Amino acid sequence: MRASVNRPPTPTPESEEPQDPELTLREIINIKLIESGEKERLKELLRERLIECGWRDEMKSLCRAFAKKKGRNNVTVDDLVQVITPKGRASVPDSVKAELLQRIRSFLASAAI
Amino acid sequence: MSSKINTQIVPHPCPHLAEFRRTSSKPFRALHACLRIKPPGGRAALRRDPDEVPSCAACGLSAPSRLYSCMTCAAVSCHSPAAGSSSHAAAHAASMPHGHQIAVDVDRAELFCCACRDQVYDRDFDAAVVIAQTAASTLGGAGSPAIPPPQPENLRKRRRVDYRPWAPDLRERATIATCSGPIAGAGDNSSPELPWGLRGLNNLGNTCFMNSVLQALLHTPPLRNYFLSDRHNRYFCQRKSNAGDGVGSNGPKRRGGNSGGSNGSNNARVCLACDMDAMFSAAFSGDRVPYSPAKFLYSWWQHAANLASYEQQDAHEFFISMLDGIHEKVEKDRRKLDSEGSGDCCIAHRVFSGILRSDVMCMACGFTSTTYDPCIDISLDLEPNQVGSTKKAAATSNHSCNGESDLMSSSQNCGTSTLVGCLERFTRAERLGSDQKFFCQQCQVRQETLKQMSIRKLPLVSCFHIKRFEHSSTRKMSRKVDRYLQFPFSLDMAPYLSSSILRSRFGNRIFPFDGDEPDAPNDLSSEFELFAVVTHSGKLDAGHYVTYLRLSNQWYKCDDAWITRVDENIVRAAQGYMMFYVQKMLYYKATDKQVAL
Repeated sequence: MRASVNRPPTPTPESEEPQDPELTLREIINIKLIESGEKERLKELLRERLIECGWRDEMKSLCRAFAKKKGRNNVTVDDLVQVITPKGRASVPDSVKAELLQRIRSFLASAAI
Repeated sequence: MSSKINTQIVPHPCPHLAEFRRTSSKPFRALHACLRIKPPGGRAALRRDPDEVPSCAACGLSAPSRLYSCMTCAAVSCHSPAAGSSSHAAAHAASMPHGHQIAVDVDRAELFCCACRDQVYDRDFDAAVVIAQTAASTLGGAGSPAIPPPQPENLRKRRRVDYRPWAPDLRERATIATCSGPIAGAGDNSSPELPWGLRGLNNLGNTCFMNSVLQALLHTPPLRNYFLSDRHNRYFCQRKSNAGDGVGSNGPKRRGGNSGGSNGSNNARVCLACDMDAMFSAAFSGDRVPYSPAKFLYSWWQHAANLASYEQQDAHEFFISMLDGIHEKVEKDRRKLDSEGSGDCCIAHRVFSGILRSDVMCMACGFTSTTYDPCIDISLDLEPNQVGSTKKAAATSNHSCNGESDLMSSSQNCGTSTLVGCLERFTRAERLGSDQKFFCQQCQVRQETLKQMSIRKLPLVSCFHIKRFEHSSTRKMSRKVDRYLQFPFSLDMAPYLSSSILRSRFGNRIFPFDGDEPDAPNDLSSEFELFAVVTHSGKLDAGHYVTYLRLSNQWYKCDDAWITRVDENIVRAAQGYMMFYVQKMLYYKATDKQVAL
């Protein structure tokens, strides 16, 4: 009952204006990907590729090193994500990016948006 | 982080989570209806209705960094950990009077505290998610659950007996001194440099395949302890089986026929364990003159008639066949005590048998079928080819847990196969392509599947067999793969256990997964030490087996009748065919020498 009291007003669709045409296209694509289940498949594929190429192990050891440096009880997930994300983004192999881009392209072609 | 959970260091709930749990009576009940399991990966997510595309209530974006749903009011907000950018989730928590700190990641179904900015864990919540995931991947959730039902708090009560070191007190020491003497020949300095039990084995005509395996078995700590503590007494065993025959019909007559050499009835009395017992007595007698295991060979021929010849045999085949022989005899002796596969039946299985788990997941619906298979050893493929394997080397080199020689592998040689790499490939999820579809019970058609192997239960002694003998059915010929394989002296098997493999599939949870025993010292039993390496040199049809043994941290080369001390670098450079690892807590290091008191 407390939950309903504290519930914030539900945002009405009109209130959120499209900020940017490019962003909305991105949003539309995202929604299409989710609705078709393609996003889950892409995620699974990406996960698989990143494990195969050693990226995940690399990130793991970076995280370990960071946690060791800061002290085991002194690390939050936010800290880790903040420190590791730039390195992680930079070290994704181009071949993996290319494969995913190709998959998204062919999905869009088949979905005919 | 998962390893911390793996070893049962459950993180303390943050004050906000504790407060949240205290103030709400059924904190996570509303979430149960929102748990959705998506097909290909079978991962958990939260959606109010199946097709919902969640978006941040503040900025309206559905794909910013991460989306969190407040546990108190269900408002969805985005959160980015970057220092500069604002976090709507944190802003939401701050704007509310209090009690809105705990949120759940909508795509991962993991709890997060917006005030501490850290992941938090709750036993009940995690149990609910895992059960939903399991139900989604088994038929209707009604079939045998692969995961035990949740017993949130009282799991901890199932304590095992703690290990306590024991040292004799004065009185016990006196008793030991008066009632036992040093083993005959202990003071004998015939060959002081060789530790106990090292004795050459004569080659009886192409029997190096047997000698190499027997040397490894003679120094397998649990097996050695079993036989040297008289757990299988050959005189007693023989008398017992004779008596058993006597009860039948005409025992004495049959025994007479036996000694006369008629083979027909002999088979019933072949007991490889008795011959092992005799061999252990001989090896540890103190006599250093090479021993001829003729009796054993004869018994084994009777057990495996198809291999009885003076030809060369495969050491691995011999290993499997002789353990099988020991097992079979015990089974025959007590047929009613049926404990097949549990590993409790005979000494061979108690020492060597583990359980493999194989999961086959349908890529279309996520249905998973799980099978468990007992195994005596693990056969590993050498990596197919070396070209372009630098990528693979990078993948395997970062396994910090398997320290020592791994560091070497990453620094000096990219592209060398490693045992750790083989194990990683063995447990990696493998996509079975369109040419080898599996029948999915849920879809009722053949589907593409994902297959994953893992180790459910580790044996006391792990034998790894490297598939060096390759048979190509297309070219109708076999060949031997003479490639070097690097193997570590200490090996941590934790990453290949079912519990670790499953955990990665379920996200970060506090939950006992398959094979996890909440209070068992998981760490200890997954660490292994190398104690024997059987190597093969030569070609497919003609070659020689040599065993390297590690006793008190010193390596010895056992080449049939000749035993020499060797440097560990020679062992590292050897071409391993079978590697024997024993659980670290059963491995004897320096204390080995004190046995003679």
